[in-house]
Amino acid sequence: MQPIPLSPKPEPTTIAAVDTSSIKLGETSKGIIIAVRGTTIWKRGKNYAYLRVGPFIFHITEDNLQEVYKTLLRAYFPEQNPQGAPGFIQIPVRMANLLERWLQASLAKTMRDGIILFDGSLTAGTPDTPVQQLKEILAAARDMGNTVLAFTKVTTLRFNGCLLTEAFPAYKPPCLIEVANIKPKPPLTLLGEVYVAKLARGNYAFRLDIDRELPAQERVEAVERLLGNDLIMQGYPETLRLAHILCTFTANEVIAMQHFIQHRYRLKIIDRPDMHKLLFGPFGKGESHHEAV
Amino acid sequence: MRLYRKEGNIIEILSFPNESVEKGDYLLIEDAEAQKALIAQVIDVQFANIPGILEELLRSLPDGGGIIQGEDVDPLEIAPHITYIQDSRLLICKIRATVEGEHLSPSTSWLPSRSQSSIKKLPIATLLKLAKVNGSLPITLGVTKENSLLTIDATSLDGKLNIITGKKETGKSHLSKLLITSLLQYKAVVVVLDLNGEYAGLGFTSDGKRNAYYNKIHVLTPAQNFKVALKQLHLNVILNILIHALHLPGTSAREFRRIWQFLKDKGCLTLHELGEAIRNWNCNQNVRDALFSRYHALVNSGFFTDNVAEANLLEECLLKAREEGGAIIINMRNTSPIDRQIVVEYVLGKLVELLTSWRLKAVFLFAEEAHLYLRETYWDDIVTRMRHFGIFTTFITNQPDTIRENIYRQADNIFLFNFTNEHDLEVVSRAARVDAETVKSIARDLPPHHCLVLGKVVRDFPIVVKVRALDVKTMGETRLFFSGVHTDGTSQTLSVAPYSVGENS
Repeated sequence: MQPIPLSPKPEPTTIAAVDTSSIKLGETSKGIIIAVRGTTIWKRGKNYAYLRVGPFIFHITEDNLQEVYKTLLRAYFPEQNPQGAPGFIQIPVRMANLLERWLQASLAKTMRDGIILFDGSLTAGTPDTPVQQLKEILAAARDMGNTVLAFTKVTTLRFNGCLLTEAFPAYKPPCLIEVANIKPKPPLTLLGEVYVAKLARGNYAFRLDIDRELPAQERVEAVERLLGNDLIMQGYPETLRLAHILCTFTANEVIAMQHFIQHRYRLKIIDRPDMHKLLFGPFGKGESHHEAV
Repeated sequence: MRLYRKEGNIIEILSFPNESVEKGDYLLIEDAEAQKALIAQVIDVQFANIPGILEELLRSLPDGGGIIQGEDVDPLEIAPHITYIQDSRLLICKIRATVEGEHLSPSTSWLPSRSQSSIKKLPIATLLKLAKVNGSLPITLGVTKENSLLTIDATSLDGKLNIITGKKETGKSHLSKLLITSLLQYKAVVVVLDLNGEYAGLGFTSDGKRNAYYNKIHVLTPAQNFKVALKQLHLNVILNILIHALHLPGTSAREFRRIWQFLKDKGCLTLHELGEAIRNWNCNQNVRDALFSRYHALVNSGFFTDNVAEANLLEECLLKAREEGGAIIINMRNTSPIDRQIVVEYVLGKLVELLTSWRLKAVFLFAEEAHLYLRETYWDDIVTRMRHFGIFTTFITNQPDTIRENIYRQADNIFLFNFTNEHDLEVVSRAARVDAETVKSIARDLPPHHCLVLGKVVRDFPIVVKVRALDVKTMGETRLFFSGVHTDGTSQTLSVAPYSVGENS
């Protein structure tokens, strides 16, 4: 495989990125309390700006799980057929995905001639990313002259037995390595061309999916415009890193949200016994969340 | 406020932004079930160690510079809660006492309930009432932060050793003047060893008129209106002067004793006769030289006279003050270091003499920068022996390390003004009546004219007070070069004529 060398193109281009995060705030006798938040961030010239929505706090119970999810799905993507709601365990992530797709769609429809960075791949056909939904987002982006670049931090794809991101240590950055002939198992569908992106020194490589409806030359040019307009630290675009940083919940915010629900809904926070610790003592790893509200 | 942690006699309390608590404030931690309450004083206010706070701060400065611009759509209004958590504070408090009903005890052996205790601010006025910091002879020092008056009892200064310390221009002399005038109201006898002539104006208002204390203030300036005739001196006093102030060796002192006795027996104790006696005395030449050099030092001081009419009797002033109270100001502004020591030796010797014979009941002695005139052995004397005679000393200094550690240990009251120097705070914190943390933490942040009062006067509840103003004439101001000089460079008193070419050419 031949690398595609890249040279940064400084022509002014808006770089935007979207990321969301979710967290479980606690458990009630009927279900769980979760919070989701999303961030859109963009860089014009030398300045970054952001729009952060949330946190949105939901009390999800067995009774309202279907209703909450489908109501939001209908509100965000009215054309989409509501499929089965996720299970209890997946619900925080699925709610965050829903918000992320909506933010991505909004950005794709409102921004012009820019580069939109997604966190993750352009693989569709999963329960949280229906093919039609992602196709519509990519189409809307193309209609506005935008290019979608999706960065995956950790991939399981392999090339010659090696992890894709570790397979080309000798290639000098900045470069792209096109990985052709990836055939996902149905119902999964790839809506992007898969590349390995080595954008900076230091042996940092990421899987990069670029909208496959765009001509090959335009795909490469989009990456070159990204190089010319954004900071690339450790091979990763700063805009996307900021999107992640700004939406992630800090411990301080979790305490604040617990404080909010405690005051607003008169809930009392109690420390539920940690069964792992209780049963196994120092050999118990402990549960990740054992607070009950 | 919530009780967080206790270690030793330090208690940590979590406080939220809507609760206004500052260093020096008192808190009452009430445990209703135990029917007891702890009184704790805030000695430091810190940010609470909130998890994730570092990440929170870091993400607001992503590119190592300006804050990232953005908009938050926060429909549930969580942001105020985040700020509330972020701004929560940890109050480091020192436990001072336990209240049971109306009684205060210094016991800190119990622990109030963490979950059930209620914590509230304890107004200083209430604390003072609880601690019974009042009495029949009130002295109002000033106002506390809560604008309530801090009134101490003059009896809490009686028989006590006090220290007033703080860095320059923080109000030490002002407080000592306040204490002196307050003591005068209660007919106390006060002696002030005034190094810079600052107390000479105590009998006048700021606009130069006589005030209520005018008749009680006696300013004695050595070699001017304060002279001593040799025949008024006791041998011990003159020997103390010669040995301690003028460093006369033992052998020579023995000869001097003989000469003095000889002259006294002859009834001719005058400076002239003393000089003649030394000249003609049959003794070793070296002893004679030693005695002569000291004799000349005595003569040159101008403090001694042969004219009894010219000699102002310190004793007279003190006995006059005994009836209605009075302050004898020993103004040593223009007195040389050696002469200062001579004068102080005389004054202290005289005081001891009057007190031991019960002609004086007790004296409040105010000593400014005492290390400049007090001999080494007097320090211990003052805090032990002289206290029993009835000399109750107040040391005033801006160099706390000039006062010995044992003085701090035995000090009953400390009036502490601002210090920023770590070393100075370290010295003061050796006082027995206060813990080092309180001194170091609170004194560092005291604004000018604010004083941390420690010790018996406040029943060991350290209280910050803004010392009240006093209408007395300010004396002994520092002479300044630029005072009275206009910004254009001309002086009010010296006019500089413009340079004229014609005059010089």
